[in-house]
Amino acid sequence: MKRFLALTLSLALALPLAACGGSGNDSTPAGGNATDVPAEASTELNIYMWQQYISDALIADFESQNNCKINLSYMSDNADAITKLTAGGGQEYDLIMTCDAYMDSLVAGGYVQKLNLDNIPNSSNINEAYWTAKDYCVPYLMNYIYVVYNTETCPIEITCYNDLIDPALKGQISTIDGARNLFPIALVALGYDPNSTNEQEIAAAYEWLTKYNDNVVAYGAAEQNLTNGTACVALTYDGNASWAMSELGDKNTLKVADFESDPVQLGFDLYVIPTGAKHVDLAEKFLNYITDPQVMAKNLEEFPYSCPNDDAVAAASESYRNDPARDFSYKENVFFQKDVGDALTIYNDYYQKLKVGE
Amino acid sequence: MSKQPSGTSDLQAIRRKRDMRRKTIPALAQAGPVSIWMILFVTLPMLFIIYISFMSRGVFGDVVYQFSLESYQTLLDATYFKVILKSLKAALLTTVLCLGLGYPFAYYIARKPPEVASRLIMLIMIPFWTNSLMRLNSWLLLFQTSGPVNNFLQWTGLVDRPITFIYTDGLVVLGLITNMLPFAVLPLYSSIEKLQKSLLEASADLGATPSQTFFKVTLPLTFPGIFSAIILVFIPSLGIYTVSDILGGGKVLYIGNIIKNQFGSIRNWPLGAALSVLLLVITGLLIFIYTRFAKIEDMEVV
Amino acid sequence: MAKLSKVQRHKRTAAILGEVYAILIYAVLYIPIVVMMVFSFNDQRYNYYWNGFTTQWYGKLFHNSALIGSLWYSLIIAVLATVISVVIGTLGALGLKKYEFHGKKLVNNMLYVPIIVPEIVLAVALLIIFMNLGLSLGMGSILIGHCTFCIPYAVVTIKGRISGDGDTLEEASMDLGANRIQTFFRVTLPSIMPGVMSAAFLSFTLSVDDVVMSNMLAGAKNSTLPVLILSMNKSGITPDVNALTTIMILVIVAGMLLSNGVKALVKRRSAV
Repeated sequence: MKRFLALTLSLALALPLAACGGSGNDSTPAGGNATDVPAEASTELNIYMWQQYISDALIADFESQNNCKINLSYMSDNADAITKLTAGGGQEYDLIMTCDAYMDSLVAGGYVQKLNLDNIPNSSNINEAYWTAKDYCVPYLMNYIYVVYNTETCPIEITCYNDLIDPALKGQISTIDGARNLFPIALVALGYDPNSTNEQEIAAAYEWLTKYNDNVVAYGAAEQNLTNGTACVALTYDGNASWAMSELGDKNTLKVADFESDPVQLGFDLYVIPTGAKHVDLAEKFLNYITDPQVMAKNLEEFPYSCPNDDAVAAASESYRNDPARDFSYKENVFFQKDVGDALTIYNDYYQKLKVGE
Repeated sequence: MSKQPSGTSDLQAIRRKRDMRRKTIPALAQAGPVSIWMILFVTLPMLFIIYISFMSRGVFGDVVYQFSLESYQTLLDATYFKVILKSLKAALLTTVLCLGLGYPFAYYIARKPPEVASRLIMLIMIPFWTNSLMRLNSWLLLFQTSGPVNNFLQWTGLVDRPITFIYTDGLVVLGLITNMLPFAVLPLYSSIEKLQKSLLEASADLGATPSQTFFKVTLPLTFPGIFSAIILVFIPSLGIYTVSDILGGGKVLYIGNIIKNQFGSIRNWPLGAALSVLLLVITGLLIFIYTRFAKIEDMEVV
Repeated sequence: MAKLSKVQRHKRTAAILGEVYAILIYAVLYIPIVVMMVFSFNDQRYNYYWNGFTTQWYGKLFHNSALIGSLWYSLIIAVLATVISVVIGTLGALGLKKYEFHGKKLVNNMLYVPIIVPEIVLAVALLIIFMNLGLSLGMGSILIGHCTFCIPYAVVTIKGRISGDGDTLEEASMDLGANRIQTFFRVTLPSIMPGVMSAAFLSFTLSVDDVVMSNMLAGAKNSTLPVLILSMNKSGITPDVNALTTIMILVIVAGMLLSNGVKALVKRRSAV
C-alpha cells in the first residue's frame, strides 16, 4: 500500500519534471506568441527546408538587414516536413518547405496559413504557370525529373520512357526513388494520365516497373553512380545532373535524353507558413527577400536548380543560363504531380510489392 | 519445508514485515527511477502504439481516432508475409555470421590481461562514434567501379574490367556484419572472461582433447553470453534499414524499411503501428521460446 | 634450446593464428574509417569519387558553424544521456536484482522493449505524446528519447556484473558500522565498476550515433550531428564532414595514448 502510494507520488512528480525537460533549452521568442498582435518585430525565424538548398551568404545578409537570427533545420525526406506540419509545426517553425503535390490536402486540413501577398510584392516575379495554391505558398525552386545518359557508354539512344525497359540497359540505370516519381513515368509510357487514380492502370504501371526494376542497379545516389561509372543512365533531378556535368568538366559525355513526345515531371519546392507560426512578419519578409530577382540570381550561382522566378533567371549568370543540364527542348512538355487522394494507398501497395520482389 | 510451531511463524511474519519496511526505502530509491522511467516513456508510448494500430488512417496518413481493423487486415496480404520472412532470413544470417566470427575474436581478447582487453574492447567501439551513414558510404567509395579496389585489381592484372561489388548482396552482408559485430563480441567477451582457467586446465588434466574441452566445457559455460549476443544482434538486424538502403541500392525492402516508410514517405501511421505490434509479438515469441529452451534467466552484455 | 614439443608448437600456432585473425577483424572494422579520413582530402564538392588532393575542407570546416555546433550539441546530449542512463541504470540494476516488488516482472519486460522494437516506433509515439501535451521539442525531448533506449542497455550490462552471492558484502559492511550510503559508495559501487564503465561506454556510443530519435524529437534550433549528416544524404555529403570525423578520430587516439602514458607513468612511480 505504502509502495503503491509512493509510486503514484513519484509519477506525479515526474510528469512536471518531464515538462521542464521538454521545454528547458528553448528561449522564449522575443516576438511574443501567436495570440497577441506583435507590437515589436520578431528577432528570430525558424525555417525547415532541404539541406544545401540556400546560400549561407544570403542567410547572413538577411540576418544583418533585419537584425534577426535565422535557425535552419534540415529535412531528409518530404515526409519529415509533412510530419512536422501535421503534428503542429507552427509551434516550432515559421517556414516549412514542402512540395506542390501536397498543397490541396494541406490547405483543406488547415495546416497552413493564408499568406498576405501584399507583404510579399516581389512574388509577382514568379511565373504564374508554376504557382499552385497561390494564396498559401511561395515557390522557391523547381526540379525537372528527366533522363540523363552517358553518350559514350550507353548502348542505345533514349528518346522515350519505354526505352528505359530495353533489356540492353540491364543493370545500367541509376534512379531516384519514390512511388510518386516512379509510377508516373510508367503511366506515361503506357499512355495513361500520370496522376491516374484507376487501379487497372496503376497495376499495368506496376508490371512496367518490374521490367524497369530489372534494369535498375540502384535507387538513390543517381548522379553519383552516373559519374563514377557504375551506371550509364540516370533518372534524376536537373539540379543534380547539372552538378554531375560540371564536375566532369571537359570529360563530360553526359547528355539529357532527347524525348520526342513523353512529358517529364516538374516538381516545385515551396515555402509554406504553418498554422500557428510565431514569427509571421519575419517569415513574410523572408519570402519577399528570396523572390527578389537579384537575391535569387545569386542563390542560383551556388545551387543551379531550375527556378520559377522568371526575373531571377533573367538576372542570373551566364553559366547558369547556359547550363547544359537545362539545355533541352521540351521544357514546356511537363506534367505536375497532383494530389491523388485515396488512390495513394493503391500506389503505395504496388510500390511495396515492387520493392519486396519475389 | 518442515512444520514449525505456531509461535515461530508469528515471529517470522513480524520479521518479514520489518525486513520489508527496512527494505522499502532503498528498494524504492534503486528500482524506483528505472521503473518510473520505463512506465512513463516505454509502457505508455507502447500502449499508445497498440491503440493507434486499431485506429483509421487520415488523409495524410496520420491518425484519425475511429476504430478500425483495417491495418491488421492489410497485414494479411502476402507481401508482408514475404517481407517478414526475408527479414528473418537476413537477420538470421547476420547473427550466425557475427557469432561465428565474433566468438574466436572474443576468445582471443578474453585471454589477454584485463587492461589490454579493455583497451581492445574500446578499440572495437571507437568506429561507432563516427557516423554510420558515412561508414556505409565509405564502403561504396572503396568498392565502386572506379574505386581503389577495382583500380588495384586492374592494375595487378587480375581482372580486365571492373567487377561490380557495390549494390550486391555480398556487400550488404559485409555491411551488416561490420555494423553488428561489436554487439556480438561484447557479451561473448564478458561470458568467456568469466570462465575460470582452472576449469579448462582440469578438463585437460582429465584427458580431454582441446576440441572436447571446447565443446563440452567452454561452449556450455559461455552460453549466457551466446544468448545475449544472439538477442543483441538478431533483433536490431530485423529492424535495420540503412545498410540495405545504401549498400544494396535500395532495391530490396525489409521489414525495417516498410515500418519506417509507414511513418515516412508512404504515410500510414496505423499500419506502421500494426506492423510494430506484429514485430514485437514475433520477437517476443522467439525470445520466449528461446529462454524456455535454454533456461536462461537474464541477459548480460558486458 | 630444446625443440618445442608438439603441444607447445600447437599452442604457438594457435596463438599466432589468433593474432592474425584479430588483426584481420580490426582491419575490416577500420577500413571505412581510413577511407573516410583519406576522402577528407578529396578535391570535389560532394564525395563521389577521388578527384585530387586538397586541404581546403579543413579550412572550410572552421567556418562551418552549423557543423561544429551540431557536434557540440551531440556531445553534450551524449554526455548527459550517459550520466542519466548510468545513474538510473545502476540503481535500477541493483534494485531489480536484489529486491522483489509488485510489477517487477512488468518492469523487467519493459526493459527489453526498447531493444526489441524498431526505434522509429518509439520515436513516433513519444513525438505524438509530447505534441499532445504541448511540450516544445528541443534538447530535453531528445534527451528523454536517448535515455529511453540507453537505460535498458545500461541495466542489462550492469546486471551481468552484479555477483550472485546476495547481500553478504553489503551486510558485512553495515554490520561493521557503515551506513547505507557509505556502503553503496565504498563497497557496492567498486565491485560493479567494470559493468558501470561498460554501460557508460555503451550509452555514449548509442547516443552519439543515434539518428532516428534525434530526427523525430528535434527542435527548431539545433540538430545533432547524425541528423545533419542524414539530411545531407540526398544531395551528397561534403568532405568537410570527413574532415570533422578525421579530427575527432585523431583526438580520440591522442586521448587514448595520453591516458596510457599517464597510466604507465603512475605505475612506474608507484613501483619505485
